[in-house]
Amino acid sequence: MIRQAATVGREGTPAVRAYAPVLLAVALVALLPLRYGDSRSMMGVVIGGVLFACYTIGFNVIFGSTGQLFLCTGALAGLGGYASAILSERHGLPMVLAMLLASLVAAAAGGLLSWIAVSRSLGVIFTGIVTLTFALAFQNLLLGQRDLTGGETGLVVDAGSETLLGEEVAPFYVFVALLAAYLALFRALQRSHFGWAFRALRDDEIAAELAGVDVKRYRVFAGTLGSGMIGLAGALYAHSEGFISPSTFSFGEVDVLVIVMLAFGGIGSLLGPVVGAAAFTVLEEWMDSFNEYRLIIYGSVILVLFLALPRGVVPTVQRLVGRLRRRRARGRRPAPAAQPPVDTLAPR
Amino acid sequence: MRAVVFDGVVLGLQFGLLGVGLTLVYGLAGVLNLAQGQLAVLGAIVAALRIDAGTAVIPAVLAGVAVAGTVGLVLDLTLMRPVYRRRGEDRVLLGLLLMLGVAFIIDGVLVWRYPIEALTLRIGGDPVDILGVRMRTGSLLASAIALGVGAVLVLFLRYATTGKAVRSVIQDEEGAQLCGVSPATVRAFVFALSGALAALVAVTRSMTSPVTVNAGIDFTILALIVAVVGGLGSVSGAFLAGILLGIVNTVSAHYIGTYVTTIILLGAAAVTIVLRPSGLLGAGRE
Amino acid sequence: MAMLEVAELSAGYLGEDVVHDVSFAVAEGEAVAVIGSNGAGKTTVFRAVCGLQRPSRGSVRLDGRPITRRRAHDIARRGLAYVPAERHLFPDMTVAENLDLGAFPRRPGPERRALVLGLFPRLAERHRQRAGTLSGGEQQMLAVGRALMSEPRLLLLDEPTTGLAPTVAAAAYAALTALREQGLTIVVAEQQVPLAFGFADRGYVLESGRIQLDGRVAELEDNPDVQRAYLGVA
Repeated sequence: MIRQAATVGREGTPAVRAYAPVLLAVALVALLPLRYGDSRSMMGVVIGGVLFACYTIGFNVIFGSTGQLFLCTGALAGLGGYASAILSERHGLPMVLAMLLASLVAAAAGGLLSWIAVSRSLGVIFTGIVTLTFALAFQNLLLGQRDLTGGETGLVVDAGSETLLGEEVAPFYVFVALLAAYLALFRALQRSHFGWAFRALRDDEIAAELAGVDVKRYRVFAGTLGSGMIGLAGALYAHSEGFISPSTFSFGEVDVLVIVMLAFGGIGSLLGPVVGAAAFTVLEEWMDSFNEYRLIIYGSVILVLFLALPRGVVPTVQRLVGRLRRRRARGRRPAPAAQPPVDTLAPR
Repeated sequence: MRAVVFDGVVLGLQFGLLGVGLTLVYGLAGVLNLAQGQLAVLGAIVAALRIDAGTAVIPAVLAGVAVAGTVGLVLDLTLMRPVYRRRGEDRVLLGLLLMLGVAFIIDGVLVWRYPIEALTLRIGGDPVDILGVRMRTGSLLASAIALGVGAVLVLFLRYATTGKAVRSVIQDEEGAQLCGVSPATVRAFVFALSGALAALVAVTRSMTSPVTVNAGIDFTILALIVAVVGGLGSVSGAFLAGILLGIVNTVSAHYIGTYVTTIILLGAAAVTIVLRPSGLLGAGRE
Repeated sequence: MAMLEVAELSAGYLGEDVVHDVSFAVAEGEAVAVIGSNGAGKTTVFRAVCGLQRPSRGSVRLDGRPITRRRAHDIARRGLAYVPAERHLFPDMTVAENLDLGAFPRRPGPERRALVLGLFPRLAERHRQRAGTLSGGEQQMLAVGRALMSEPRLLLLDEPTTGLAPTVAAAAYAALTALREQGLTIVVAEQQVPLAFGFADRGYVLESGRIQLDGRVAELEDNPDVQRAYLGVA
């Protein structure tokens, strides 16, 4: 039964149609500098939006695909950012190498957390608490180890300032490239046996195990991959921004936004992170003048979102479009012909 | 060293009381009240405002506790309804996220309206000598209150009919229903109680150091750590964990440093989850 | 007017009905057996009647008053006590505490306690023992005893003899007979049909979620299908 359900739809679609949304989204995003290219501050905001879209896709791989509530997105990004900064600043590693290594560090951390959660069969709450303690501990580590991390005052990241990351508009395109890669990766995952396994284990874990899905392996894989993605994005940001501090990667700055963005866009959907990141980047900008109400607005958004739109924007829109299409098709077709006789001996 | 440990016990008793509310609500409803800290601060700020307005200390404190309890009750009767309609992990996740939203809203409102407000209760009197350690009257009173309220709570849960009804819902909800216990009523009662307890802890904390408007998240994290280490759903576990962690807190802060202390406390929670998820005395609701 | 009237009850899980159009009635003072194999739907019917589950269709009346969508604790306070197959005891509370909670919100009077402990002397011996440490038979006794503490007028039991040694099962039914003589109306769902037939006046046969047969126990015992399916007669 599970096999049947999974092969219908995704794997059957030709590659061009499957990746079209990716290309479309990337194309739209790539056009943004036309509007905002001359304002350095606005480009900063736009880059921030793309960055968060990348974070959210990584979180989507971990939480949206395999249901692991990782409350440490910021810490994983921070691991990537600080590792890359330290490796390139202190140890003189070339920037790209530092970023890749930093991404591996984040992937390892995430994989370890996943492995712990999986081998101890931790449910949602305990996974959340363990990852949250990791996030808070990491934050304290950053603040406490002043010699290594610069503590509260942060770290200046020079490596990369001579490359195109140091320019005004060019970093944006690097981030867009990353976004495109992440979206393509997510889509590829969905169409592969990974995606099939993810859907199966989200639907019914026990049934998936019985069908031969090694739930543990897939969870750890998702945790590792998603964390690596988040870490790489964090590292890229460190080099393009040129300065990082503990507050850049704190729970309040990153995790809250990522969770809300994904929930708004649609947990588990391909474009959900992009839609969510776009919506909340706009909201953040608009709220700049209402700084005192920021927390109140976010809290209210969370409440309304999870009470009214539990699936998120993208899946809801998909369902509405599907319904409209079916209604139109029904209107065109004449009354249905008599059904062929059902084979009553066939199993249900 | 003895002074540090005594300070730890004082702190720990209050930690325990803070964790009890969280652990009870989780044991009963499967909901992790991430707004616990904000309810505590809400109560403290209400008390501070009443004191500023000229009310005597005790009525002001009672008002704060009452407001926090009432908000807890309202939250249960309104927001928690859709949460209770779900089961298992679905309920846990939704409850967690909704309470997070509530935490933001309360925090946001308090920081916006009363950004500089803080509760400080100065308890007069000379320091008292306990077993060779000079203890401030504020610490002693805070401990006495925490101990007293804690004892009443434990006795209530053990021996009072309503208290046993509360425990019955934690141990077997369907069984409780078959006995005529209404889980919804019990949950509402406990939610209100946990809000009131949280506010009470904020009040006792203010006897030794000011409780500011942004203390909410620290309180929540503390409550979470204590509840997890003690065992989610276990009241005595929360108290035991509270005292142990309180001592760890003061000893570590005294001899090592504040950042490491926080990591140690967080680590205790993580280690508990990984090695012994039911906690010190857990009823094993997981 | 029957004490319990179930009319066209349909109920199930996750949107799919497991029992369909079940109707039966129990008069005051009767002892009724509901028999059927594993998965026939007996537990679902009971859960829907006592409020632990919402039926998708149909109605339930207690003393003529509808209780169809009422909550389980509400129904329990109206004199309908249910002893589920899983017992649902409070494992960390003592036998005494479990029993006392059965009478919630009232505190049970000494005569009631004496009556229940008289029926199950073993419980009196283990008064202060934690329910989680009792043996299977003792837990079953405790479950029944707890249900009796609220002085119910109607007692529903779901497979009370599962996992009990034959002597213990016989003793359980002896206790039920004694209760019956004191005026308690009892409905019992059973897989161990001979025991149930030895105890009840009337019976219903539930299979595949529907009532297939009903009648006085003597008639059912003579029915060749019943004999073949449940009484081990070739």
